[in-house]
Amino acid sequence: MDSHKEAQPKGDFECQLCGLTAPYSYYGQKPPNTHSVVLLEESYVMKDPFVPDKDKFLILGSQCSLCNRRVCVGTECSLFYSKRFCLPCVNENLQEFPLEIRQDLDKRKSHSKSHPSKKADART
Amino acid sequence: MPSSEKERRAQRRSRDPSPSRGHRGGRWDWSSAETRGRLEELYFREQDYIRAGSEDSRQFWAFFERLQLFQTLKAEGEPALRAPPARADPSAAPGLAGLPQEYDPRYRINLSVLSGEVEGLARGRSRGPRRGPGVPAERLSQFRAALLHYLDFAQKQSFAKLAKLQRERAALPIAQYRDRLLRAVAQNQVVVVAGDTGCGKSTQVPQYLLAAGYSHVACTQPRRIACISLAKRVGFESLHRYGAEVGYQIRFESTRSPATKIVFLTEGLLLRHVQREPALPGYQVLIADEVHERHLHSDFLLGVLRRLLPARPDLKLVLMSATINIRLFAGYFGGAPVVQVPGRLFPITVVYQPIPQEEAAASGKPERLDPRPYLRVLQAIDHKYPPEERGDLLVFLSGVAEIGAVLEAAQAYATHTQRWVVLPLHSTLSIAEQDKVFDMPPPGVRKCIVSTNIAETSVTIDGVRFVLDSGKVKELSYDPQAKLQRLQEFWISRASAEQRKGRAGRTGPGVCYRLYAESDYDAFAPYPVPEIQRVALDALVLQMKSMGLGDPRTFPFLEPPPQSSLETAVRYLREQGALDGAESLTPIGSLLAQLPVDVVIGKMLVLGALFGLAGPVLTVAAALSVQSPFLRPTRTNPDCATARRPLESPHGDPLTLLNTFNEWVQVKSERAGGSRKWCRRRGLEEHRLYEAANLRRQFQELLRDHGLLGAVQGPRDSSARQSRHRERRELHHLRRRHEETEGRKRKVLKLQGGETGSSSDEGAGAGRAGPPGVDIQDVKFKLRHNVDELQAAAGTALSSHQLALLKLVLCRGLYPQLAAPDQYNSCRKDSDQIFHTKNKQGIVLHPTCIFAGSPELLQTTEEKAEPGRSRGSQEGLGSRHQLLAFVSLLETNKPYLVNCLRAPALPALLLFSRALDTSADCTRLVADSWLELCVLDSEAALRLLSTALQLRAAWEGLLNRQLEGRRGEPGRGPDLREVATLRQRLLEFLQHKVQYSLRRLTALEKQNLYVGPQTVAAAPGLPGLFQGAEMTPDEEKGGYRVTEFLTYNCLTSDTDLYSDCLRSFWTCPHCALYMPFTPLERMNHESSCRPQPQEAPPEEAAESPAKATALQRPYHCDACERDFMFTSTEILRHRKQHQ
Ligand SMILES: [Zn+2]
Ligand SMILES: [Zn+2]
Repeated sequence: MDSHKEAQPKGDFECQLCGLTAPYSYYGQKPPNTHSVVLLEESYVMKDPFVPDKDKFLILGSQCSLCNRRVCVGTECSLFYSKRFCLPCVNENLQEFPLEIRQDLDKRKSHSKSHPSKKADART
Repeated sequence: MPSSEKERRAQRRSRDPSPSRGHRGGRWDWSSAETRGRLEELYFREQDYIRAGSEDSRQFWAFFERLQLFQTLKAEGEPALRAPPARADPSAAPGLAGLPQEYDPRYRINLSVLSGEVEGLARGRSRGPRRGPGVPAERLSQFRAALLHYLDFAQKQSFAKLAKLQRERAALPIAQYRDRLLRAVAQNQVVVVAGDTGCGKSTQVPQYLLAAGYSHVACTQPRRIACISLAKRVGFESLHRYGAEVGYQIRFESTRSPATKIVFLTEGLLLRHVQREPALPGYQVLIADEVHERHLHSDFLLGVLRRLLPARPDLKLVLMSATINIRLFAGYFGGAPVVQVPGRLFPITVVYQPIPQEEAAASGKPERLDPRPYLRVLQAIDHKYPPEERGDLLVFLSGVAEIGAVLEAAQAYATHTQRWVVLPLHSTLSIAEQDKVFDMPPPGVRKCIVSTNIAETSVTIDGVRFVLDSGKVKELSYDPQAKLQRLQEFWISRASAEQRKGRAGRTGPGVCYRLYAESDYDAFAPYPVPEIQRVALDALVLQMKSMGLGDPRTFPFLEPPPQSSLETAVRYLREQGALDGAESLTPIGSLLAQLPVDVVIGKMLVLGALFGLAGPVLTVAAALSVQSPFLRPTRTNPDCATARRPLESPHGDPLTLLNTFNEWVQVKSERAGGSRKWCRRRGLEEHRLYEAANLRRQFQELLRDHGLLGAVQGPRDSSARQSRHRERRELHHLRRRHEETEGRKRKVLKLQGGETGSSSDEGAGAGRAGPPGVDIQDVKFKLRHNVDELQAAAGTALSSHQLALLKLVLCRGLYPQLAAPDQYNSCRKDSDQIFHTKNKQGIVLHPTCIFAGSPELLQTTEEKAEPGRSRGSQEGLGSRHQLLAFVSLLETNKPYLVNCLRAPALPALLLFSRALDTSADCTRLVADSWLELCVLDSEAALRLLSTALQLRAAWEGLLNRQLEGRRGEPGRGPDLREVATLRQRLLEFLQHKVQYSLRRLTALEKQNLYVGPQTVAAAPGLPGLFQGAEMTPDEEKGGYRVTEFLTYNCLTSDTDLYSDCLRSFWTCPHCALYMPFTPLERMNHESSCRPQPQEAPPEEAAESPAKATALQRPYHCDACERDFMFTSTEILRHRKQHQ
């Protein structure tokens, strides 16, 4: 256990679309101590702060394969379909994506309209 | 990289809607333990991301079942709808060229599990997948697909939490003031942040400062628990960005390291830092949180900082307060700018429901609270709000008795309606019981938490929608005249009322019922009385003195305390010997100022160290400084008293505590984990014993730091060291496992039919989570303490000599907190025994006191059996009068003595009195102007008095040398031989049997006690009385001042006229001189004739090696029947020889 030193933060990851900021400790496709798990894109990764297990990681985001913007993996900012695409790029090239993805986006759009802003002030 | 073609095939197969179909051999059963075990063997190995048997793997299988169900439903719902492939647009960006044409959810997952090795293994083990025990490739890929979905799902879940966390932070009211705040801090030395509950200041301001580049930030909190939770919260919210840079420091624990950038600490601890380094060079920014609560330390800290600021122009100070009395703080710091942040509470409806006059009057006994108004509110809630609408009720009452009354009635109501779970909450409950208030009620049932004001600020319970406020609070108030703590009931302040109300609006709109009228509310004081104005200020004054803050009477406090409190404190410290006549710190005073304990307890520690009684004194001091571990005996458990009996000491409560602690340590070292049960059987709160152990260790370190205790020796031989090392590693491992599995899962409360609102079974005490059978508190205890050393200290019973000395040391520490029994106590019922102190009469024993149950221990029983009472029939003559030394006086409905120790009256008074006045023949003595001792035999009286003088001088001398010698000058410490001699002589002194009477003086007698200044200069013309002390006529009392405390012949009496010239023949026991002496001449001769300190008594000298250390103490080995002087480790080593 002692060999697994706390990963040192390398810097802050900041999503260029939503501004989400978090310190990342690894950038690449093979986060440390993850053994058989590999990432299919170069990603900004941190230790998952929500689980006690030190070896669990959390992918924060990566670069859009079209415009190279740094985007988070949040569904409001990007999607992954064999590669990472930021939503602005997806919307520009909507027809290139399969129907399932387009439907998904439509669904999300109408959903977010009926529940504006996700009640950010719900509670502490 | 796995081939994508293969992946895709596997993916297609995994969509097979019915998992058991299509397998020709026996049915494939995903849920069989065997199947799962086989797959876990392949994929959840020790080195894999998910490990077999872990919580993670359980969650995976749960997810797996949901996924299968979902896929089945989906397959049935939209059977053959194939989406047309996306059109391949030649004009599309080149980056889009390789997009898979046929949609598959697999493509949306951005991670993969390397599989080559695993699949080879699966195939290798099962040639011919259809028959062997192997896993068919089809199933394998189905499993792998599910695994990927699970990993993706886990990522999404955690990311959603992260996003939510950041959203919430941004939505806090304070977030909008971030820039304004940072600007204010940059431009000013002091800034006040005012914001109410929920505005986020405590968690966010430290983070803003860190992010803005400040470091060396300290944030003070009034409560220890808040330091821990804030450090955790801030570390978490900042996503451990600062790692070890966020820490906390409280009395026993510190996570602070050189890397720490921000530390949360208690106000008291920061004050200690100032004491050590007045300019606080280690800090750049200080945040003082919750200053509106006006705790003693908080007020004092602000005063200290205000003085410090001009000397540290680079230091920033941020005061954080609720929006209470902000102008006071801003004004105190020369008009500091205020950043005011609105709070965030949901609307709360206030219902005033004063108790009807006739009901209030009719409730009969004023001591018993009438629960009816409270029940009406429960009924109203049941009536008005459907049970599906969740929301709990929080009731604020003034004290434990009131809680009991409401609890009983509410539980009866709850049993009847089955709609409530009623729980008490106050600080004397065990931790496990307190924790229950956080558990969840079953659906359709509400929690009703009946609490003291602990729930006003200290404990926050989520889900409260209703608040019921009695408007009352019980607070300790301090009577400086009687030096008495009083627990009295008061109306709360408007600020408290608002705070209580606010508890209903934390998670949604709420209702607050007030059992008083709006006009009452308007008449409440605006704020609670600051602590500095209602508590004893001894410790504060002592600390001010040691910080060189000058005269406390002129210190510019935020709001000055009453002058009388300061005067009392100064007088008390002088009485205790911590300040001298000029109000400067004495050597003992400056040491006491560094001990974070009551002066009395600090004195015990210093005194105990001198006589090699550090072990037991450390334990007693620690146990007296925490809340009593003895829980109130409950009606349900009468066995408890029986089980406790062997722990009780006939000498008094401090020794009962010593026995209890020692026995507990024994239990802990003998059977791991057995102590919890042991405590439960005896009605002991184990947590407080853990606290005492921590405090004991802290005291030990303090004494060591001050050179009053030798350094500890670790085990010397390497095998012992190794086994200790192994044990520690094992313990560390257990703790880590506990931390990993530590769930904050709340239990669901049971609806009770009976009387207790119990959710947990018997075993659910301290160890909530973690590996079964492991008591995590026990593990932590063993990691923190050297159990062997503790056990060695606890295991050896005190000899009768040691016990007598220990009592003497405790008694000297407690002096002048003494009470004398009332003369008619022998005619009173056991429970009605009355005691008097010098300033307060008619005090009773606290029910927890050993003497309350066994008053016969205080009776001087030998009176009748004494044959030699020839001269007169002086009443109350005896040789065993007892006094009670007590730790504190507490007044609730009656004044109580708390934590009593009995002490032999005559020796104690002769040795400890601040003022000792005598008659001419010294048979009549008055101690501290309130207790009169009449000794039958004047010769015995003289001898005792003269011995007492010598003992006091020797003891004082040794103590001073010990205190001076502690600054690392080895030659200056007390001579061990002299210590041994003093010990021996003190013990002899205690054994003197003299017939005497003990009586409190009446008020009239006190007025006419002294003869007063005499016009006739009747100086006895005997130079060098009492080893060179000059005898001067006492200007106030009359007679002659012999030492600082002894005044000879100043008492008014009939025989005084002749005494000066009454000589009788006397033989000096030392030089055999035989001639007529007056008593005075006799004392004079004896003290000058006394031989120099004799050889150390044989008991000590025999086995004592040349360099005895303070750690050594007499040890009698039963096996080889010899006595030794040993340290704890030496004892252990010696014992091993016999094994
Ligand atoms: Zn984003
Ligand atoms: Zn893009």
